[in-house]
Amino acid sequence: MEHVARAFTAAELVQRGLDDLPDELVSGRHLIYSSPATLAFNSPGAEGFGVKRAGLAIPGSVMLVVAPGCCGRNTSLISDLPGYEGRFFYLTMDETDIVTGRHLARIPQAVEECVAHLAVKPSVFMICITCVDALLGTDMERVCRRAEERVGLPVRPCYMYALTREGRRPPMVHVRQSLYSLLEPKPKRSTSVNLLGFFAPLVDDCELYRYLADLGVKRVREVSRCESFDEFEAMAEANFNLVLHPEARFAAADLEKRLQIPSIELTRLYQLDRIRRQYQALGQVLGASFDDKDDYAAARAAIDAFAAAQGGASFAVGECLNADPFELAVALVSYGFAVREVFGTITAENFVFVRHLAEASPETQVYSNMEPTMIHYDASDCPVDFALGKDARWYHPDAAGLDWNSDVQPYGYAGVRRLFEALLEVAGGAGDKNAPAETCGDDGKEVLA
Amino acid sequence: MRGLRMYLTPFAPDQSGAVSVLFELGGIIVICDAGGCTGNVCGFDEPRWHAMRSAVFSAGLRDMDAILGRDDKLVASLADAASKMDARFAAVVGTPVPAVIATDYRALSRMSERKSGLATICIDTSGTRLYDDGARKAYRVLFDRFATEQQPVEPGRIGVLGANPLDLSCTSADELRAALPGAVCYGMGSGFDDVLRASSVERNVVVAPSGLAAAQLLEERFGTPYELADPRFAGEEALAKLGLDDVRDKRVLVVQQQVSAHTLRESLRAQGAASVTCATWFMQLDELREEGDVRLAEEDDFAELVREGGFDVLVGDPALWPLAGDFAPERVSLPHFALSGTLQDGSSYAPHGGAR
Repeated sequence: MEHVARAFTAAELVQRGLDDLPDELVSGRHLIYSSPATLAFNSPGAEGFGVKRAGLAIPGSVMLVVAPGCCGRNTSLISDLPGYEGRFFYLTMDETDIVTGRHLARIPQAVEECVAHLAVKPSVFMICITCVDALLGTDMERVCRRAEERVGLPVRPCYMYALTREGRRPPMVHVRQSLYSLLEPKPKRSTSVNLLGFFAPLVDDCELYRYLADLGVKRVREVSRCESFDEFEAMAEANFNLVLHPEARFAAADLEKRLQIPSIELTRLYQLDRIRRQYQALGQVLGASFDDKDDYAAARAAIDAFAAAQGGASFAVGECLNADPFELAVALVSYGFAVREVFGTITAENFVFVRHLAEASPETQVYSNMEPTMIHYDASDCPVDFALGKDARWYHPDAAGLDWNSDVQPYGYAGVRRLFEALLEVAGGAGDKNAPAETCGDDGKEVLA
Repeated sequence: MRGLRMYLTPFAPDQSGAVSVLFELGGIIVICDAGGCTGNVCGFDEPRWHAMRSAVFSAGLRDMDAILGRDDKLVASLADAASKMDARFAAVVGTPVPAVIATDYRALSRMSERKSGLATICIDTSGTRLYDDGARKAYRVLFDRFATEQQPVEPGRIGVLGANPLDLSCTSADELRAALPGAVCYGMGSGFDDVLRASSVERNVVVAPSGLAAAQLLEERFGTPYELADPRFAGEEALAKLGLDDVRDKRVLVVQQQVSAHTLRESLRAQGAASVTCATWFMQLDELREEGDVRLAEEDDFAELVREGGFDVLVGDPALWPLAGDFAPERVSLPHFALSGTLQDGSSYAPHGGAR
């Protein structure tokens, strides 16, 4: 019997509606295929900023992973990265610990021993716990307080609860709350603003920095650009927070309640007109207007240059990239390209883009990376010229493409311009997977704060 | 402090060992977890993941699934997946979540068989034990369930048990097959049909402790004899490959899985080593243990062994070197994938392929 990967057209999905999505596109209704294309997606600790790496976003912090050995196993992928050496410790749990919870009594001593082992006292000690403690109902806040008393430095929990990944406060939401809970009240400065949401900076030439400077903002702070704990603590003086990723919403709400820092949420977009409208709306809230003509024009020029070289090119768009795949697909279609496939997860928030996609490109096929039949996926059924996203590139090894998933974040007009510049660059070497994948910043060496 | 690691990341857990055994056999493998354990298996502990397709899935458990013990939902998902692919069997592999909620694996396998029509085995791993324990369980359950028919013995046909990337630290059993012509390396180049025909081998070679329990079962069931040896480390040539050319009168410490370490010990002795001590972080079988051999548990155990042992040569995974301080000046690299994630050719497996 021949088996194929299951896909649905965008039109079909919109016709059914968000409340009647096919079981294949709802992760809770089938086994999860940990596709080789999406390991970073399914294994938060393996790649990108998962809970463990995010938990160490604060300069000088270290982490104790308290868990059965299996949960800490792949941490060496992170601890081998520059800047993470010697920052992870492990307290492994055995079956008796699981039954009795006796490991909790050992945590303060373990923290003390780790601190004694370090040549430099850490700024913060994070304790990462996993599904087992979620089920045991562990009060880790209390354990952290006890550890704090022993070592005299902030000790914070970090919940790597995969079990709650689709809950109201999934791990990546909670880790942001945990990090920003370290900020203590400070006198406000009207010229300071925080960018919340990412664990790496925006591309250096993102126009947002300039727009804020034009408003008189002198300090734009991002946790990833803080070089010391003192710099991080200065984030408490911000006049307002810009929330650039929805997973930072709760952290921003906490800061508003605790430190009276209000927030404004922005969305990452690749549709130029929507980017313009979003900046206009931001300007209205802040009582100003931004001169975006040159930035808009530069992004448009990059799109046009790529279109001139590759007019009518076809794309597959994945979700392992710095974009919402459906929004990016809509953008590509609006610029005159064909989007044959999207590998993505439909949510209440991005269904609006699925609607737009259905209007502009009703035959686009939508797959769920996590669905078991993806084991049968065969790229020859739907060849494309370009694949965007690490997952799409894996599915289409012969297409030119970009991973577009660097730590440094493309954003705004600069993100669009860089995307099409990078596409133009790889277009010259179509099919060459070793072609330069992306030009997305220089790791944010320039500290703005 | 017991269980506290400052240098070494945790070793491959039991569920990784179980999946490693089953990976190439054409079954549906369901890791009974929320996603992280599967990510660890596929993204770190299974170096074949990018090279060959295998139906390894996560149960995708969520908190309420665990709290309410929704086994029926898991069974329905498994049956749905089974209807969409050609699988020979199904295997459910345990993790800390079912360990905490005390999943009834026997009931789960019965329910799964009824609903999916696939023969289903369950490996009761918990994520708290080491890979070799999970591999041992998987080999044992697999052969107990499927190697049931007595078949004529084929002269020259040799079964190999314990061959998996976590034990051998390589992704293919070519080297073993070269050393053992006619070898059937279960789960590493040999498929499910070979498991069904396990009674047809004239003897089994157990190349890692994880394979012993299954070998004992097959001996009991079919009278198939077995021996413990890793032919890759037998003889002078094997020593030369490792760079162990001159070991005469030297005191050597070998840290590896026990069968490999023991075979290497015999080769070293034959070349005049003064003494060879075998140490392992994993299973230690009475059959191969000699006086002075050490079972390691904590980082301090290893540091103390090297400090006090007076060894001239240390053979082991380079990830251990930071613990060895300035002792044992001559060090020979013999990576153990289950320890460091490094294969014996020196490459490391990283998500999306390639060496890191």
